Amino acid sequence: MKTLKILTGLLLVALAIAFISGMLDSHDRENLYAPPPVPKQYPIKESTQENATPTRGYGIGDAATDFLLKNIDGDRISLKDYKDAKGFVIIFTCNHCPYSVAYEDRIIALDKKYKNLGYPVIAINPNNPKEYPTDSFEFMKVRAREKGFSFPYLLDEGQKIYPQYGATKTPHVFLLQKEGEENIVKYIGAIDDNYQDATAVKNNYLENALQSLLSGKAIHVTESVAIGCRIK
Amino acid sequence: MKKQLLLISILISFISCDQRPVSKVITIDQKGLKEVTLPLNEKIKVINFWATWCAPCVEELPYFEKIGAKYEDKLEVILISLDDAKNIKSAVQPFLKNNQIKSKVLLLDDPYAAEWIPLIDAHWDGAIPVTLIVSKNKKQFYNKALSYDELQDAVEKFL
Repeated sequence: MKTLKILTGLLLVALAIAFISGMLDSHDRENLYAPPPVPKQYPIKESTQENATPTRGYGIGDAATDFLLKNIDGDRISLKDYKDAKGFVIIFTCNHCPYSVAYEDRIIALDKKYKNLGYPVIAINPNNPKEYPTDSFEFMKVRAREKGFSFPYLLDEGQKIYPQYGATKTPHVFLLQKEGEENIVKYIGAIDDNYQDATAVKNNYLENALQSLLSGKAIHVTESVAIGCRIK
Repeated sequence: MKKQLLLISILISFISCDQRPVSKVITIDQKGLKEVTLPLNEKIKVINFWATWCAPCVEELPYFEKIGAKYEDKLEVILISLDDAKNIKSAVQPFLKNNQIKSKVLLLDDPYAAEWIPLIDAHWDGAIPVTLIVSKNKKQFYNKALSYDELQDAVEKFL
């Protein structure tokens, strides 16, 4: 009986020690954080971009650059290939960002409606797959197939196009209108003002801008802001 | 036997007291956000916008924890989550526990970002992460992810 008491006592002490040391240990475990706190891989490039020469990108009325980017079907897509288009809805978007995902159905609906009216959607993934692995070309194909994207989904290989436009986040819209040989920026910003609930949208920025272009009227709201995932 | 149990329970309660609590998410609206950005008399506010799904945000959170602990009496670090409010129980609170986040954590439950983004800074177009530092007589906005050194430099300008 006495042995049993001693043994029970010892067991309790051992348990307590294990418990306490576990708790103490958790204090110092800095590596609990998901990504290890290593310095950025490209600190010089980043600091020059942010501090020295901030890439401001396009403003309303600027001529947007054309590009030749790889589509998920392997073709290379360029704006000049669209002879009959009146303009373009360029949307920088991606797979990993919940805001982008929240807008997928709305982007498909916009493309289906406005492609026939001369303004097709062209989606561009601006992210480096090394930063966001689920934004790789292979995963772009998977996502486009799953959702049935009705528009090209291009990869900004080498990340040369998004800085010229001045896209900072996904999703980020640039509405262009063809004027002669040029594609003029008419609207920059969000698709609408409620990513959570399409039925509770107060301002349909992009669609209003498209309607204005189609009816030859001035666009009321030419720029808007919204939360998005920083392009990396 | 009783003595041992007593000793153990005392030990456990002593250790428990020592452990700073993991932050608990408080939901705020636009009005709450306005209040959060107002300067305090005695402390410098370091306000960071983040979300559990935002990789560059998650990467810099430890720096905010570290600086908050280092200047505990001078800084108030406020982490404003932009996660969906319906994910508080499933994602945000577990994240805070797993990562032992002890700074103040608020969750801004308002999808109409175009209405409140300009309250933070005129130059913010909505990409996260961003950081705002506010004191009685100064305000600085950082439209990028920060390294620990950058955060330290930013804070020191206010001390």
